[in-house]
Amino acid sequence: MPSEIPNRSWPWVAIGVSVAVALTLAMISPADAVQGDLVRIMYVHVPAAWLAYLAFAVTLVCSAGYLFTKNLRWDRLAASSAAIGVYFTGLAIALGMIWARPTWGVWWTWDARLTLTAIMFFVYVGYLALRRTTADPRTRAGRAAVLGIVGAVQIPLVHFSVVWWRTLHQPASILRPDGPAIQDPIMRWALLAGVIAFSVIYTSLMVKRVELHRLNDAIHLAERGEARPVAGASVAAPNLDEGARDV
Amino acid sequence: MWVTIPFGAMALLLIPLAIGTDAVLLERIGPGLYWVIVMLFGVLVSVGRASVETGAQRDASSLLGLDPAAGYVGRSISAAGLLIVFELVVGAVAVVLYGFDLIGIPWLAATLIIVAAGLGLLGSLAASLVGSGSAGSALVPLLVAPLSIPLLLGATQAYEGLRLGDSILPWMLLMAAVVLVAAIAGVLTARPLQES
Repeated sequence: MPSEIPNRSWPWVAIGVSVAVALTLAMISPADAVQGDLVRIMYVHVPAAWLAYLAFAVTLVCSAGYLFTKNLRWDRLAASSAAIGVYFTGLAIALGMIWARPTWGVWWTWDARLTLTAIMFFVYVGYLALRRTTADPRTRAGRAAVLGIVGAVQIPLVHFSVVWWRTLHQPASILRPDGPAIQDPIMRWALLAGVIAFSVIYTSLMVKRVELHRLNDAIHLAERGEARPVAGASVAAPNLDEGARDV
Repeated sequence: MWVTIPFGAMALLLIPLAIGTDAVLLERIGPGLYWVIVMLFGVLVSVGRASVETGAQRDASSLLGLDPAAGYVGRSISAAGLLIVFELVVGAVAVVLYGFDLIGIPWLAATLIIVAAGLGLLGSLAASLVGSGSAGSALVPLLVAPLSIPLLLGATQAYEGLRLGDSILPWMLLMAAVVLVAAIAGVLTARPLQES
């Protein structure tokens, strides 16, 4: 089927184009007056953090969706999104540390935003670990959905930590009541391009992971169906002929 | 619990050997270390046999028509009771080893009860999520530890507030909020978890 080949390559084309545009804009954008070229890390760090929020919010919605409908599609979406969210959170933390070392002089500091982000990371690592403890898709989905909802409490805590506490981490630069703090248009476009590129990556990974979960569930259900004993199979019919001979 | 208490006391004994036996420093950090031990080891107490429902117990509860939410609350109260015993025994060891003062006994008692209630509720919820699988012993602490951080912050800052003579009401309210949220989450999810 020749028409399938272009369809399969569309995600890679979309990722390639969006990443290329984002990298180009990140490279041609001017250096920051204070941070210098280090600001370019922000074009990856900030989109990674935003996509992590989005991924965990999707996990929250899909977990609630599963509890209401008991449809495993919601669970697959929740699980896929949580896994990708963990990758993005880890990436945001790692990039933040690389940026912090030359800027703040330390890899890590006990700042509210940093600490809460690390906690959020471990909450969702726990979510993924919980999913691995149960093979049955329905049991796993019910338990994971509860943690997917409870764990989402972390998202607003992390986001608003820079508002509620006086932290070393800078407050929001874009989503502010008085408008974006970034004045240079190329910087804003570079950030937007980063967000779009990461969104494309997120969407592509979601499609792949949901399909992977669907196949895993199908394999599990097929194996369970084959292994299930037939009712009454353990009871052997009496051999009346042999018994009659003994008597 | 009778294994976890000596283990917690042993941890309190080992820490000064690692960081140095400076009496002033130990007196300063003693309360914080005590609460860390309560959080980490208390989770093990809260998922002990007395507060976790096995498959057979769950089946019996279902046949008897016991409301899953009532079962969750009962297990949490059981865990909280055990945790209070754990806190008192390990607390006595901490006071002896680290030499910090007990200031504001009524507030400290309230802190002990709230922390025990919060850990009991979170531990029971996590134990319900994990089930009776072999991975539970490691996974439950991983699930509970991040969610119990407000309890750790509240307990340590409440003691610090008592020491400095500041108001500790906000910290008590923070811990009470965690208890409330954990109780609501556990009660609302008890039935779906049992069905799963």
